[in-house]
Amino acid sequence: MADVEDSAAAGSVAEPLDLVRLLLDEVVFVKLRGDRELKGRLHAYDSHMNLVLGDVLETIYVVDDDENDEIRTVTKKSEMLFVRGDSVVLVSPHNSS
Amino acid sequence: MAGHNTAAPGFSQSYDPFADLSKYDDDLEALNYEDTYDGLGDQLDETDDAFNDDTFGDGGNVGSSQGGVGKDFDFFGATAKVSNAFEEEQMRFQRHQPAPKVPVAPQHDPYMGYGSPAYTQPKPVRSGYEKYREPEPTADLQVDASIWGTAPKKPATPSAAGYAPPHQQQQQQQQPASRKVMSLEEVEAAMRAQAASKTPVATSPYMHPPPLAQQPHQPQYPRQEHVDYRFQQQADIPSQPFLSPHDGRFASPADPHQAQLQGAGGPHGHPVTILQRPSSKHVPNVPSPLSHQHQQYPQPPQPQPPQQQQQQPGMPAPTQILQNPARVSGDASRMGGQQAHRQQNSYGRGQPVITHPGQLSGLSDNEKAAFLEAEARRAKRNHKIFVLSKDNGLMTPHDKNFITRIQLQQLVSATGDPGEYGTDASLAEDFYYQVHSSLRAGRPNPNQPLNNFAQTYLFQTGNRHGNMRRGRGPENHMQRMEQQVQRAVEAAKNKPKNKQLVIEGSLGKISFSNAKTPKPLLNIKRTDSGNDAHRPASAHRTHESNVGDRKVTLRAIEEVYSTLMKMEDHERTIPPPTNGEKDQAQIEWEETAEKLNKHLWDALKVHDPVGGSVMHPFITFLSYPKGKKAIPRVFRQLNHTQRTTILTMIVVHLDQLDVVQGAQVQTGEPINMSAAMRESIETFSMAVMPALFNLLNDTELHIVTGILGIITQQININTIARTRIGISVLTMILSRAEIIKENGLANEQSWHQWVVEFNNFFNHLEPTLPHIFPGTVTSGEDVYVWQFLAAIGIGASPDEQQRLVIAVKDRVMDTVALSKTLPSEMAKQRLDNVNLFMRSIGLDVELLK
Repeated sequence: MADVEDSAAAGSVAEPLDLVRLLLDEVVFVKLRGDRELKGRLHAYDSHMNLVLGDVLETIYVVDDDENDEIRTVTKKSEMLFVRGDSVVLVSPHNSS
Repeated sequence: MAGHNTAAPGFSQSYDPFADLSKYDDDLEALNYEDTYDGLGDQLDETDDAFNDDTFGDGGNVGSSQGGVGKDFDFFGATAKVSNAFEEEQMRFQRHQPAPKVPVAPQHDPYMGYGSPAYTQPKPVRSGYEKYREPEPTADLQVDASIWGTAPKKPATPSAAGYAPPHQQQQQQQQPASRKVMSLEEVEAAMRAQAASKTPVATSPYMHPPPLAQQPHQPQYPRQEHVDYRFQQQADIPSQPFLSPHDGRFASPADPHQAQLQGAGGPHGHPVTILQRPSSKHVPNVPSPLSHQHQQYPQPPQPQPPQQQQQQPGMPAPTQILQNPARVSGDASRMGGQQAHRQQNSYGRGQPVITHPGQLSGLSDNEKAAFLEAEARRAKRNHKIFVLSKDNGLMTPHDKNFITRIQLQQLVSATGDPGEYGTDASLAEDFYYQVHSSLRAGRPNPNQPLNNFAQTYLFQTGNRHGNMRRGRGPENHMQRMEQQVQRAVEAAKNKPKNKQLVIEGSLGKISFSNAKTPKPLLNIKRTDSGNDAHRPASAHRTHESNVGDRKVTLRAIEEVYSTLMKMEDHERTIPPPTNGEKDQAQIEWEETAEKLNKHLWDALKVHDPVGGSVMHPFITFLSYPKGKKAIPRVFRQLNHTQRTTILTMIVVHLDQLDVVQGAQVQTGEPINMSAAMRESIETFSMAVMPALFNLLNDTELHIVTGILGIITQQININTIARTRIGISVLTMILSRAEIIKENGLANEQSWHQWVVEFNNFFNHLEPTLPHIFPGTVTSGEDVYVWQFLAAIGIGASPDEQQRLVIAVKDRVMDTVALSKTLPSEMAKQRLDNVNLFMRSIGLDVELLK
């Protein structure tokens, strides 16, 4: 059956997004444009790399002009986050342990 | 002559354009022609006259002067047509007349000015024929010139009459009449004469209608008074033999037929008689004597009666010019015009045709009233049509179809491929949306409205197509449009296949994209068989590479999910059950289901070899949250044997489960567990445990016994008993056995086996019992332990119960002591937990107080 053969291929890597698929429901590290990083559970993605993340910790790197150009980080926590794909730079599995 | 009145209502429409002209006459009295003429006429390219009709919207009639002329024409276009007609006539005329007969040529220059004393022959000066007579470019003014050139020269107002004395005009009229070529001035004069002939002031020798009859006609000749004056001047001259042809001209400018007939009849040197409408030709046959009498009136000045003209073309008969005032340009308005025409004719059937106001005197009051009413209605209607048809003919049928096709194409491309709706492909693509919409709106398919719309649209056009007269142009348009739609649909279908366009000479490929198939930025060819891509990764499995393991497992999980989705989708397509024999569809369905099941089973890797230092793939599978979450769905798709196998597999590897391995608790120490582990345990409890629990509730005692035996013999009970999941599993097993016993489902032998196994298990467990409590007494997370102890206590022998109490006595006493320090609610909760166990062995915490 073609269906079965198709599904046989589903577990393999045929395109980059198949790798992202493996990260579904896993904690991922996402680097975004604008010096932002996200860490959260990947709930969904699409071909534009729009992402839906859960239990997200967002880290923003800010350069303070006042004090010796030091880099300061701002963190935010979100229960659920939709990330528009055009800002995604990098998605990687996150190994906390 | 008689025909004029019949078509009189039409005058109001035909006449409208000239109303403006007349106004100019008044104004231009004070204006010098040189001041007002901007010379635009000189810039006209006469060679482009062929496009005039395109510009001025003559409904696609190629022979501009032949086509229907609407009531909606503007003076500009109408003048052009009339001018063309005149030119035609003049051409023919010139062919028959030697050049010397055209004496006015030198005076045609519009720049000569009217004030010039040399301007003694105003009549034929500007007739529109100049370009045939004069080679100079100044004479090449056609359209514009005919407006500006003719209008100011008309001695239209009474005050201007002195400039063109009536008798001079009269002479002029006679002269051109003999040549059968008349200028616009002549036409105007004739018009006024005609109008004046219906007024009481008229003293024309052959016009003496009763005053009574004129009243109704006055509204249709709004400028009657003005004309009257003119007529008086003309009427002073006793004889006006060729007035009748001018009468016809008065009504003629809007009628292409006139030009046609004029062209045919003019050159032969016959007086031109214009009949307003074809029906008027037969007016003389109407029995009414009055009517007949009036028909005869104009005849004496004419060489031939008008009715003879058509039948005897060879004779020197006056050319009849037929006019249908209701003619309009444009397809749609032509229909309306014909209707109006019909209605105009209709009143003549029931009663005598009234061709002249004078006839009214012979009619009864009722008839008169009816006639007047009909006249008024007709005038009103014609005016309405005139107003409505202002923009007629702007778009040709071809234009309209073009627009329609564009719209349809946009519709098709916007909605994608209509043929795709309702297929499994679209269902798979946005399944949840489909389900959502069907739930929300109660309609089977979210695409339905659009689809319906498109279908309705096509259906309607199809209907119209059916109603069309066969063999007409519009039918071809409809066919072409349908083909276009078909092509558009076809193109939309093929679009995903042609993702790239290579234009010759360009440096690259152009990729198409739409919402469904985004532009592929990476073009990685999918290998023919998935196994090829899989193999390198599989090879990693033998190495003890964590990364490789991880990917393999993740892939397996995705594989399981994909298969699950296919199976769940397949479930929905189960063929309806039939009585008796299975039909082909059912057999096929079952075959597919079996294959999918096998595939799922393979993907779960339950049957991979057990043992070795490497963790079993299925246990690894369960170590991922999504692997755990898949279990309930997996269990639904598996048969009982497979489920039991999974249960066994889990039990055998119970100590290897992540939720067991990493979740050891130490009694007396604060619980130190990561949030991830807690979450993992929670997930396992929520996803896997209920599935196992349900499965266990269906199993026989001997299986339960066997499972307990496995735990006792192969598993480090000390490990699993100190975890929440392990204890939950044990509790589950013990409870099931107890339930089977209570329900009397167990026979003596199997129960005996169970008891043996239980005793064995208890012996293994006893040393660990004091250490199975999580955290300290105060942590209060030990409910499941009390439940477990209760499960043991129920099934335990009195001796075992005694040992049990001794093992956990400290914890019981601590908890009771703690409860005394806690608020009553919390204390009660703690004591209730303890009581779960105490009651199972026939005791109560109250006894301990």
